[in-house]
Amino acid sequence: MTPESITPEIIFDMSAYLGPYPFRRLSSTTAAARIEQMDAHGIDYALVSSLPAVFYRDAQQGDEQLFTEVADHQNRLLPVATVNPKYVGWQHDLEQALKTPRLTALALWPEHHGYRLNDEHGQAALRAAAEHRLPVVLTQRLEDRRQRHHWDQANDLTVASLTEAAAVDPKLKFVLRNWVGLSGGAIRDAGLTNRCLIDFSRLQVLMTKDVPKLIETLGPQPIAYGSHTPFDYYGPSLVKLANLQALYPQDYSKFAWQNAARFFELELTPAAKTS
Amino acid sequence: MHNRRTFLATSGAMLGAAIGGLAAHAPKNAFGQSAAKNAGAAQLPESKVNSQTSSLPNGTGLPTGWRGFRKLDAHNHVMQAIQSPGADWTPVYNLIEAAEFLGIEKLYCSRPLTGGVMAEIDAVRAANDTILAAMQRFPDKIEGFCFIQPGNGPAALDEIERCLDAGMVGVKLYNQFKYNHPAVFPIAERCIQHQIPLLGHSAYLTDPKTLAAQPQTSNSLEFGLLSKRYPELILILGHINGGGDWEWAIKGLKDSPNVYVDTSGSVQEDDAIGRCVRELGHKRVLFATDLSMEGGVGKILSADLTEQQRDDIFYGNFQAILERRRK
Repeated sequence: MTPESITPEIIFDMSAYLGPYPFRRLSSTTAAARIEQMDAHGIDYALVSSLPAVFYRDAQQGDEQLFTEVADHQNRLLPVATVNPKYVGWQHDLEQALKTPRLTALALWPEHHGYRLNDEHGQAALRAAAEHRLPVVLTQRLEDRRQRHHWDQANDLTVASLTEAAAVDPKLKFVLRNWVGLSGGAIRDAGLTNRCLIDFSRLQVLMTKDVPKLIETLGPQPIAYGSHTPFDYYGPSLVKLANLQALYPQDYSKFAWQNAARFFELELTPAAKTS
Repeated sequence: MHNRRTFLATSGAMLGAAIGGLAAHAPKNAFGQSAAKNAGAAQLPESKVNSQTSSLPNGTGLPTGWRGFRKLDAHNHVMQAIQSPGADWTPVYNLIEAAEFLGIEKLYCSRPLTGGVMAEIDAVRAANDTILAAMQRFPDKIEGFCFIQPGNGPAALDEIERCLDAGMVGVKLYNQFKYNHPAVFPIAERCIQHQIPLLGHSAYLTDPKTLAAQPQTSNSLEFGLLSKRYPELILILGHINGGGDWEWAIKGLKDSPNVYVDTSGSVQEDDAIGRCVRELGHKRVLFATDLSMEGGVGKILSADLTEQQRDDIFYGNFQAILERRRK
């Protein structure tokens, strides 16, 4: 096997966003700009959710913008719906979102929307996701707290809240974006080994060996590429992917795209890029 | 075939043992060996690392040959008392291993005493002995910055001399004093005398909890005050991405043309590097990681830079600073 032969034909980015962010200017917020950035960095597909849906009182208004944005880019961008289970009519909003072509997952933002995953609102949203077989996207944080705007009061999600959520329904699957501090043992003990997908945007392959430790406990299947763009540069996650390629050549395609394709039940072929 | 097994095998015993921490968390048959905890200290030869950097995969979406770009990491650490008998050197091996993977030629390391400690001189010396031990063990990879607690007065100046005599190349301050405090001035003057860089911990913290934990951390305006008092001082604002509002920090440096910034820290945000270059000029920007090594390299690689700017940030700018030292 040569290095060329183990280079994957596809990279699937499980962690990307569209739309503006209220506390900092982001370099690319539209679908067209995201595609341009993906092409420049060799990314074939991206799972995208709406940033405005995190901050609007009515999250569904943000989703409508997102679904309109990705409509012309369905071949590259897979939309994630967002619901706020404290807001009136959210169940209807979810029913509407389910009609969106290639809807892939459901994002919950308990810290931003003012509930907990283990209260009545969180439990209702989790049960709805299970009923519709939608993986639940949980982002641990959008920004480092040391730099946040004084209106940004969201705390990081905890592993304890994740494992509690996992217990709501054994059918629930979780997409974990931008996490650190994940214990492989806690994930395994919560029965999440085959029910979660973890991006390594904020984990380290070298130094603290966060990713190798997870692989040792859980196997390679929960680990997937994620960029946390447009907040972060692509480079950090791509360097980590290249290091995984060096360390785990036999599993590299799994990290780059196959684990995500299996998790989301997607048939993927290399995307036609413009550069 | 360039996989983990052959990379480790051809990297020699040193790197094989150095990745002991990784081996302990990876499939055993992939490494073909497992390094027992602490065993590396007895096994590692002193010889130079046989780098296999160029044989590692380039990866997708990154500049061709990026691992081979010359890089000096201007801000890194060894934070464990490795000079103690029986100490676990694993964190240092992990540091060396990461540098090898990422093509970083040298790591400029210090061991600041953190946690709000107003360190006495004996503790400061012990911290610097950590770095001296690492330098002695890895002379081709680790260079030293001397940690100083300015409140130690003349003893602090003596410690600078001791560290320079032992081969260190700069001084590191943490957050015991704001940098416009008079206690810092003699330290700055001694750095000027030797033409060595003064690297300072920095942040503009917007999170009350973090701010309460380190109230004496200097922000970019306070760096500017020190620079204004000592325009000839080679002053480096540490970890522009080390927490805190980096946009505020960059704007605060616009009127301080003699302050450099290093790019280290765990924050990997687009477009921090580009904004440093646009607002400060790329000659004032120094590559560094502060232990966030993959992210630190990656953000330079994908920042909007010319090749010359990238090479200067990775290597040339800091090399030029080092060449200013009085021998």
